[in-house]
Amino acid sequence: MIIMGPVEWLFDFWQFLEFYSDSVINATVRHLTLSFGAILAGIFVAVPLGILIANRAKLARVFLSITSIVQTIPTLAFLALVLPLLGVGVLPALVVLFLYSLLPILRNTYTGIRNIDAAYLEAGLGMGMNSRQLLFMVKLPLALPVIIAGIRLSTVYIISWATLSALIGAGGLGDLILTGIQTYDLNFILAGTIPTAVLALLAGSLINRLELSLTPRGLRTQG
Amino acid sequence: MVKFSHVTRKYGNTVAVKDLNLKIAGNEFVVLIGPSGCGKTTTLKMVNRLINPTSGTIEVMGKNIQDLNPVTLRREIGYVIQQVGLFPNMTIAENIGVVPHLLGWDKNKSRKRAAALLTMVGMDPETYMDRYPTELSGGQQQRIGVLRALAADPPLILMDEPFGALDPITRETLQDEFKRLQTELHKTIIFVTHDIDEALKLADRIVIMRAGEVVQDATPEELLRHPADDFVAAFLGKDRLSNQELQVAQVMLENPVKAYPEMGMAEGLALMKRKKVDTVLITDHGGRFLGSVSVDEVNAKHRSFNTLGEIVDQDTPAIEKTAAAKDAFNRINEEKLPYLPVIDEKGLLVGIVTRNNMVNALASVVWGDHNGSS
Ligand SMILES: Nc1ncnc2c1ncn2[C@@H]1O[C@H](COP(=O)(O)OP(=O)(O)O)[C@@H](O)[C@H]1O
Ligand SMILES: [Mg+2]
Repeated sequence: MIIMGPVEWLFDFWQFLEFYSDSVINATVRHLTLSFGAILAGIFVAVPLGILIANRAKLARVFLSITSIVQTIPTLAFLALVLPLLGVGVLPALVVLFLYSLLPILRNTYTGIRNIDAAYLEAGLGMGMNSRQLLFMVKLPLALPVIIAGIRLSTVYIISWATLSALIGAGGLGDLILTGIQTYDLNFILAGTIPTAVLALLAGSLINRLELSLTPRGLRTQG
Repeated sequence: MVKFSHVTRKYGNTVAVKDLNLKIAGNEFVVLIGPSGCGKTTTLKMVNRLINPTSGTIEVMGKNIQDLNPVTLRREIGYVIQQVGLFPNMTIAENIGVVPHLLGWDKNKSRKRAAALLTMVGMDPETYMDRYPTELSGGQQQRIGVLRALAADPPLILMDEPFGALDPITRETLQDEFKRLQTELHKTIIFVTHDIDEALKLADRIVIMRAGEVVQDATPEELLRHPADDFVAAFLGKDRLSNQELQVAQVMLENPVKAYPEMGMAEGLALMKRKKVDTVLITDHGGRFLGSVSVDEVNAKHRSFNTLGEIVDQDTPAIEKTAAAKDAFNRINEEKLPYLPVIDEKGLLVGIVTRNNMVNALASVVWGDHNGSS
């Protein structure tokens, strides 16, 4: 690699980005699709599952252990494991990311509901709510901040882990990083890394705002 | 209204409620009382089926509740708990409107109902309807807790130590308020407490429990006169004593500055100046309390009147010497009185309680050098 001063280097990187803008944009779009696809699927599975296991202690232990174990499998190994089953491409990457997204959302939904002060549940039941009404009028609104915190955690992780899905041909910003590694080109590595970091930060703060606007005033004051 | 027949509830080997037979008539205010763990809450919660009995039957309004849908049953019974449990995600109006909402009232009607209920307890609807529970004081929150139970106008209300978590002054205010509400609303109320004073104050009938069984079931009057056994007597006595420890007579000043009605204006002024007070209490020659005259009154009226007797304020509040010192303290505080004359049962002036000597009396109780206090 040629040694340059920072100004020249920035200029050089800028020219690089202009030249490769299409690839960077395509990779970013693919990256977002992969991440949010996985997260959305994660939410649709983990939130109802969390609600379901919240009052079933045994089931809760089973599902929480399974998702924790999934979490401990190194991403690289996991990708290699699904290869023979699902082949290469977008689908196996989505599946792996989806499985990774489950634990924080499931755990937070579960604890969010479990930690609701029993007085609220007793008041709700005592006034004649059925279990559905109790869920939608009391449990979910009270657990919502915790559930969203789980979703935020998952999202930030998944956006960064999605770079690895390039290894099994699913594309995304990881592709640029891989190219950079193979060709010893720092520009490629940075063109993959910087957007990933920015995406993760943006998504995190976006969800923070969403959480704030979804949290009723009466709950916000509690900090 | 409510009838327990041979109701037993066990938890494993613990018998929380044992062969309970109890009949509660319409409009009756029944207080269940007893030491912690004696089965009060269990008894109460069996009425709205939050707990099911192990054996026996409970009828509410003539129907065996085991045959009723618990959800429907609960919507017809008001329920107030000690922890209040207002939903923090809902406004005050929404909290009051929960049962109406469950019953399918439209939003307008239930807001109107919430406003009417708030007005009933002296909380301005404009101010409070759209606030959230965390923006209210503890006393206000429990007021809403009670209103919430009243919202759909249920004939029966269950209350589990509703005022137990409040500070003594707020608690008393809410008790008085609730007592007043009850005389207007004519609900049937089953009320759990472990505070005998609260029970004596509110109840038409007191059911004393011990270890899952009823020890005595009587009116407050009967209970005080004829406690069924030593347990009841001890239960009544212990708390009775601690509250009657200090009477007004024990904390009052015995020589208030006083004068007869014939005393002239100038003489009165001189007396007040000499004694360094701004009010003089007026009695007749037999010592009977007539009222008070303040230094401002004398100054304002000394041209048109001759004697203190002509300008005496006959509405001056006074308190009996046997009253609890606590009551004197509360009145001085709440009615913002500078002092309270103390009279005996015949209306004779025997002393005065001032803000200052009240504080001193309290201090000596707190720091323990008041003889006889613990
Ligand atoms: N869910 C429960 N499991 C086991 N024991 C219970 C349960 N609820 C109450 N008990 C027992 O039943 C007895 C009566 O309890 P409770 O009705 O709550 O008493 P109180 O309200 O008078 O304090 C107590 O000994 C208590 O330990
Ligand atoms: Mg209890």
